[in-house]
Amino acid sequence: MKAPLSFRFPWRSRRQIAAEVDAELAFHLAMRVAEHEEHGFTHADAVARAKAEFGDVEFTRAYCRRQDEAGERIMRWSERLEGVWYDVRHAARSLRRTPAFAATAILTITLVLGVNTAVFSAAHAVLLRPLPYGHPDALVAVEIKSVGGYFVGTEGLSPPDYQDYHAQQRTLTDIAAYTDGTETWLPAHGDPEVIHVARVTANMFNVLAATPRLGRGLIPGDAAAGAPDVAVISSRLFDRALGGDASRLGERLTIDGRATRIVGVMSPDFTLGRRADLWRPLDLRSDLGDPGRTRKQHWLRAIGRLRERTTIAAAGHDLALIGARLAATYPDADSNRFAVPVPLRTWMVGSAGSGLTMLQGAALLVLLIACANLANLTLSRALDRRGDVAIRAALGSGRGRLIRQLLIESLLVALAGGILGTAVAYGATRWILGLNANALPGPYPVAVDGMALAFCAVLALGTGLVSGLAPAFAVARLDLQQTLREGGRGNSGGRVVERARRALVVAQIALAATLLVGAGLLVRSFQALDAVKLGFAPDHVLTAQLTVGGARYDSAAAVNRFYDAALGELARTPGVVAVGAADVLPTQGSSGASMRIEGQVNDEANLPNMAYIAVRGDYFRALRVPLLAGRLFTASDNDSGAANVAVINETALHRYFPNGAIGKRIHIGPVATGPAITIVGVVADVHAEGASYPVLPALFPDHRQQAWESSLSIAIRTRGDPVAMTPALRRAVRNADPTVAVHDIATLETVTRASLASRRFALALVTSFAGLALVLATIGIYGVLAYLVAGRRREFGVRLALGATRGSVVTLVLRQGLIWTATGLVLGLAAAAAERKLLATSLYGISAGDPVTWIGVAVTLLAVVTAACLIPAMRATRVDPVVAMRAD
Amino acid sequence: MSRTPPEMLQGTVDLLVLRALGWEAMHGYAVSRWLEARSDGVLVVDGAALYQALHRLERRGWVASSWGISENNRRAKFYRLTRQGTAHLRESTAVWHDYAHAVARVLAPR
Repeated sequence: MKAPLSFRFPWRSRRQIAAEVDAELAFHLAMRVAEHEEHGFTHADAVARAKAEFGDVEFTRAYCRRQDEAGERIMRWSERLEGVWYDVRHAARSLRRTPAFAATAILTITLVLGVNTAVFSAAHAVLLRPLPYGHPDALVAVEIKSVGGYFVGTEGLSPPDYQDYHAQQRTLTDIAAYTDGTETWLPAHGDPEVIHVARVTANMFNVLAATPRLGRGLIPGDAAAGAPDVAVISSRLFDRALGGDASRLGERLTIDGRATRIVGVMSPDFTLGRRADLWRPLDLRSDLGDPGRTRKQHWLRAIGRLRERTTIAAAGHDLALIGARLAATYPDADSNRFAVPVPLRTWMVGSAGSGLTMLQGAALLVLLIACANLANLTLSRALDRRGDVAIRAALGSGRGRLIRQLLIESLLVALAGGILGTAVAYGATRWILGLNANALPGPYPVAVDGMALAFCAVLALGTGLVSGLAPAFAVARLDLQQTLREGGRGNSGGRVVERARRALVVAQIALAATLLVGAGLLVRSFQALDAVKLGFAPDHVLTAQLTVGGARYDSAAAVNRFYDAALGELARTPGVVAVGAADVLPTQGSSGASMRIEGQVNDEANLPNMAYIAVRGDYFRALRVPLLAGRLFTASDNDSGAANVAVINETALHRYFPNGAIGKRIHIGPVATGPAITIVGVVADVHAEGASYPVLPALFPDHRQQAWESSLSIAIRTRGDPVAMTPALRRAVRNADPTVAVHDIATLETVTRASLASRRFALALVTSFAGLALVLATIGIYGVLAYLVAGRRREFGVRLALGATRGSVVTLVLRQGLIWTATGLVLGLAAAAAERKLLATSLYGISAGDPVTWIGVAVTLLAVVTAACLIPAMRATRVDPVVAMRAD
Repeated sequence: MSRTPPEMLQGTVDLLVLRALGWEAMHGYAVSRWLEARSDGVLVVDGAALYQALHRLERRGWVASSWGISENNRRAKFYRLTRQGTAHLRESTAVWHDYAHAVARVLAPR
């Protein structure tokens, strides 16, 4: 290939331009003077005439200089661009000539940039996009923080809490509350369908400053006694139910058996954090009418808006004061608890926020490792071309030019990787979200959009610069004369270059070690979670949710008739071992209730509190939860006049019934208004809240006697494949009531796994990042050692010829690799130790200092790297001394 | 002998200079002589207008220059048309002809 050696005149300076213009004009005038003299004028006259004819000499002189200077500038720029363009073509050609390098480099960058961009798309959608409300920064979630007593953690507000905080607070313009749920929509044609519904206090749309796309939002009058049923729906449901026809606004849809008038349609991106298709007014009157029972039922999610010029700290202070007053008034329900304001986004995003940040951090670490790899590869290539480079430098190609060429090559690789990486990111986000819809906490619009593209472009540019600059400077500082003398074949590479290569390898190992420690800790804590005995047998169980509600089910008798019919038919179905139902399935959470135990002195500030889960049918047999004492429910419990009965778990027995529980009578609620419930049995513990939470004391009343929650989850234990039972399940429900919708049909194994889904998902990503990091670092150290061995072939040949053993040569090479690895490992582990606090928040069952992880990472890394180093080490022993000496 | 008429448009000088250089490469003085000779002494472009035009045309890339030796053995700056200059000359000539015809038609006695 030819270098662009065009021998043009060097660029002209301002002074040169001025001199040339003067000379040119002088020539013209002189010619003119000579002409006049020929016509017989005296010299003086001839000069005067020539000047007069010419016109304004000074202006022309200045004009011409300006033009020339401008022209010169354009020329310089276009020449520079031409040079760059030449280098781009040169780089493309040289990449084409080394397809293995080009493919490796581009593939690495593609993968790494793709992963980074995909994670960024999610992080952007969840963490950075403005929330779809007016002035969202002033919005706060209000939740209850409990620092002691029967539950420690954060939870929602109870209806009386909401009423009290709403009335007494002074720092928010208003507080709205809502609760998520499902209801049944009966379309004009077709089967009933379950839709996600949020019941919201009528001020919700006001607080959020969210305006509907069509019609109106909910207003206070909508929740008034006797007001007609109205609702606001999502754009999605509007399209499905009303054909997206604005003129049909105001029509009625049958929701949970009630004709509900649709008064507004929200824009597609509106959400309260979870999926919802319909927002209807929340009526709290009956709950507020019985505060003794409802003060401990923390099921309201609340959102407030800070007053102007009010800080969140001031709001927190105000709410804490109210909390202290409430605790004094209602010691049983409100001791040790107070409301706290949380920035709305933080609250909506929950743990997904720190998870995404962690993922992005891991992805960026992998990118850095890939950069180091690419830098080392580029360096090797540059060293191979030293002769070429030296000749060019000798011919006057400046060092800047050399740096530029290497840089352009790296940038070209990074650009190609960036473009392909965008495609990878696009595919990856689709694929992952399709595979795991619950990976994110809500309906976030994850897309590889302009922001993601900009992010990818910046990363690609950075990758090109970082991986190109280091080798470019190292090569530019090579002693080129030395290289020329060696005929461009010497392999010393120079001290600077060697040092750069070593630093890169050490950095790679360090980064990989850091990432491996993080991934290792997550794997270990997931193992700990997975090993938790949940207390039931999730195999061979089919589950489904039933939405039973509306006007037809306003009495316990109607609810009981439906479940007796449906569960009865299922129990008679061949292949069914046992069938039961409960408020909520294990690992999906529970709600608590306080109670008084007859014959015990109760501490008013700390009444016994148990998870309250109503069950019916053969629920415990279906889940294989063993009965430890007493009995389960029998048919006679349902006789009129029979005593109300319940079963408790082992934890409740040990905590509240030191003298045995069977036959003891309890009353629900701090103000014992309801009838007494007799405890008839004790069952084994079940992790009702999920594996990562401790078992709470639990009370399982007979749902037949306490049927106010009408929508239950069914559990069917089958002899064969549980999924095969799906048609029988649908048939049984349809036979009992064709308007009841069956949804979320899934095996209990799936449900149980879903409680760990987002953890499992993040774990899979972080582990694959760590794996990728290990592979890249290994390739990196292998590449450098292999290059080093190739360059010292002659030396090894001489050593072997002089009687060195093969073992000593292997040791020589291995030692080199292991010194780098050990240095990197120490640095990496130190970095991991520095970020231990960050990691600790997402661990379960192990500490961040878990010795198995740390030692495991060190051993794994050393083993893998040693294996990688052995290959070049063995190659060093196979050098034939004669051949090696002749090669030069 | 009158010098460049003031009403002679800048564009016209540019066009004439390009036309001169389209004949052959020459220095500024030769351009003025050539124009005078071709127009039988009617079009006399003064030095100021000529050199301004030459440098303007060079900046636009329509002419290129290099130093050479004149017919009387002096150092002189020679100009030649570039490829873009040739194309521009062709276009401008056509435009000028149309314009001149139109003006002539309007002015013609019926």
